[in-house]
Amino acid sequence: MIVRAALARQAGQPWRTRQPGRPARPKASEQAAGWAFVTPAVVLIIVFGVVPIVWSAVMSFQRNNLFSPNTPFVGLSNYRQMLHDPVIGQAITHTIVYTALFVPGTMLVGLFLAVAMNRKLRFISVYRTAAYATMAISTISEALVFIWLFDPSYGIVNYLFHLVGFPQQQFLNSTSEALYVIVIMTIWGWTGFAVVIYLAALQGIPQALTEAAAIDGAGRWATFRRITLPLLSPASLFLVVWLTINALQLFDEVYLSTQGGPLNSTTVLVYYLYEQAFGGANFNFGYASAIAYFLFVIIIVVTAIQFRVGRRLVHYRS
Amino acid sequence: MRGHWLSAAAASALLACGLAACGTGTPNSTAGGLQIWEGYTGAEAKAFTHLLAVWNKAHPSEKVSYLYVNNDDSLPKLLTAVKGGSQPDIAYVYGSWAPNVAQIPQVVNLTKVVQQPGVDWSDFWVGERDVATVKGEVIGIPALVDNLAVVYNKSLFAAAGLPAPGPDWTWNQFVADAKKLTIPAKKQFGTAYVTPGTEDTVWHWEALLWEAGGQILNSTNTKAAFDSQAGLESLNTLRTMAVTDKSMYLDPSDSEYANLFNSGKIGMLVTGPWDLSGFPNVKYGVQIMPSFPGSSGGHQTISGPDNWVIFNNGSKRVAAAEKFLIWMTATPQATYFSLHTGDLPIRQSVENSPQFLQKMDQALPGVDTFVSNLGNVKQARPQLPTYPKVSTILGQMIVSVLLGKTQPRAALASAAQQVNQALASGSSS
Repeated sequence: MIVRAALARQAGQPWRTRQPGRPARPKASEQAAGWAFVTPAVVLIIVFGVVPIVWSAVMSFQRNNLFSPNTPFVGLSNYRQMLHDPVIGQAITHTIVYTALFVPGTMLVGLFLAVAMNRKLRFISVYRTAAYATMAISTISEALVFIWLFDPSYGIVNYLFHLVGFPQQQFLNSTSEALYVIVIMTIWGWTGFAVVIYLAALQGIPQALTEAAAIDGAGRWATFRRITLPLLSPASLFLVVWLTINALQLFDEVYLSTQGGPLNSTTVLVYYLYEQAFGGANFNFGYASAIAYFLFVIIIVVTAIQFRVGRRLVHYRS
Repeated sequence: MRGHWLSAAAASALLACGLAACGTGTPNSTAGGLQIWEGYTGAEAKAFTHLLAVWNKAHPSEKVSYLYVNNDDSLPKLLTAVKGGSQPDIAYVYGSWAPNVAQIPQVVNLTKVVQQPGVDWSDFWVGERDVATVKGEVIGIPALVDNLAVVYNKSLFAAAGLPAPGPDWTWNQFVADAKKLTIPAKKQFGTAYVTPGTEDTVWHWEALLWEAGGQILNSTNTKAAFDSQAGLESLNTLRTMAVTDKSMYLDPSDSEYANLFNSGKIGMLVTGPWDLSGFPNVKYGVQIMPSFPGSSGGHQTISGPDNWVIFNNGSKRVAAAEKFLIWMTATPQATYFSLHTGDLPIRQSVENSPQFLQKMDQALPGVDTFVSNLGNVKQARPQLPTYPKVSTILGQMIVSVLLGKTQPRAALASAAQQVNQALASGSSS
């Protein structure tokens, strides 16, 4: 129905019911057919989407460890436990630090590459493919390569440091450096995504505007600053929101490279949640669910703030 | 129109049925055969399916079919299956999970089964029997056994002018050798240690603790016992190599050490037989663990055995599963499995088969030392549901010492306090 209405609107006609005055209601057989078509998808979404979400909410109020058949309700005790768990505090700090570095880092690198590639060059499609390849490469290969790049004894990075005369670093073996290595690793991995978004947005900027600015005597930087950047702001808002949600859910790279170590220095919220649910033989599903819901609330709040702030800063062309 | 509607409805009904696992269960009958969950790949899978085929031919009414389940994931999958009432009849379960698995009501108590004539329970290594037993109840039959020994690079020893380690060597010798084998210019290390802070980090140290004469917990498993002279000696030994001599490569990924050893960058590794096939490029030797001079611990090692566990799907199926496992783990089958996989024999009597050690060593050089090293397994890790928590605390303690963040004495004291707390809260809940 919506599609028909939209089509009608697009064609410039008011959407009219067949019998004016009576509410539009498709025949019963049509309605049944409609339901029959959506049912498989709806069942899938309910079984694999809605049920686990609701169930984990229930579990977050239970003492539930999968071993024992008893899953008594314990009220807010799982949430209270978070207040007394020192690792949660560390995990929150690491998640915030990581997000604060990863999101702007990825956007800057992505913007730089997109601008550099937004022109007619020979082999431009090769460069664009190469930039996007970082997105296509599996996280496992990415992590393995970065583990070796940043290996304290055999890695290329320390070798380069040695050539330039920088002191040798411990990287993933260091409690103060491991998180930053993961930041670099993930920025590399997400660059392709940011490049594609920015390239698409750049191509949507009418040349007339940049040309007009040039005629008015604006230099390259002024044009970029006053014309390009504001016109990219919707893409930027999208990237901020999308990358932040992903950053708050960081898991793969940590799991593959440091397993939260050394000494919890790369333990972020989702990794800790996983540890509680599946690590060792914990199976603290109740506590892990509580952490998951805590993270869920954080993501909702952060995203809401981003949209609210974004509404004032983002420039939409009418 | 009507036809479309019907087929769409049929499709969704099928889908819903598939999701709800509409199936036919056969309660308390062996019809349809028993199901076993195992995680074998490569040579192990080949040997296992061969033995299954032999069994199925001889027992057409009690056929066993297998389902591959990655061993690392088997516990969550088992728990989920148990919740849904669709547990397999038999499953391969890591020994470190035994105390947790014992809490599942459907797990069958095998205490009486292993005392039956013909099983010869004492023929299994003591380390295996300890891990299969939780609070006096046998909950599993040994499926695999291994242990830790020292694998060393013969060429690097020769190049450093060092004699190969002998069976009565000490940790002082190990530390001195590691120092001599370390050549920073060549990026060559004396030894390596895995530092993800997981149980893999922990059990390597536990062997040292036992060799120094120490214990992890007290005899009633109620208090930490590792904050002792032996604990200090073992941690100091590791610290000397990691922090003072810098002769120890620290591997937080838990995987690089093997590649580095195979590239001739590491002189000695404390590891198990599973790594040997990954060292085709170096000439290596294997020696049992060093001892601490003057300690009662001797050259003992640690073992990580795994179990076959039976789940209750009715008395007939349990009886058939027991019969199958007794057959599967009997000496002839265990011998076949070891010779075709290089896995250590799960029974002592397997070694009596003619030229067993020579045949094993031909297939996998050095494995004979691991086989005889099974006699150096004197004790098992505490069989406690709270052990995973204890392990996490110990992992942090070891890593913080190896990274030079904490002095051994302080690390031991702080870990002991945390372990005592975990044990106290674990027993009350």
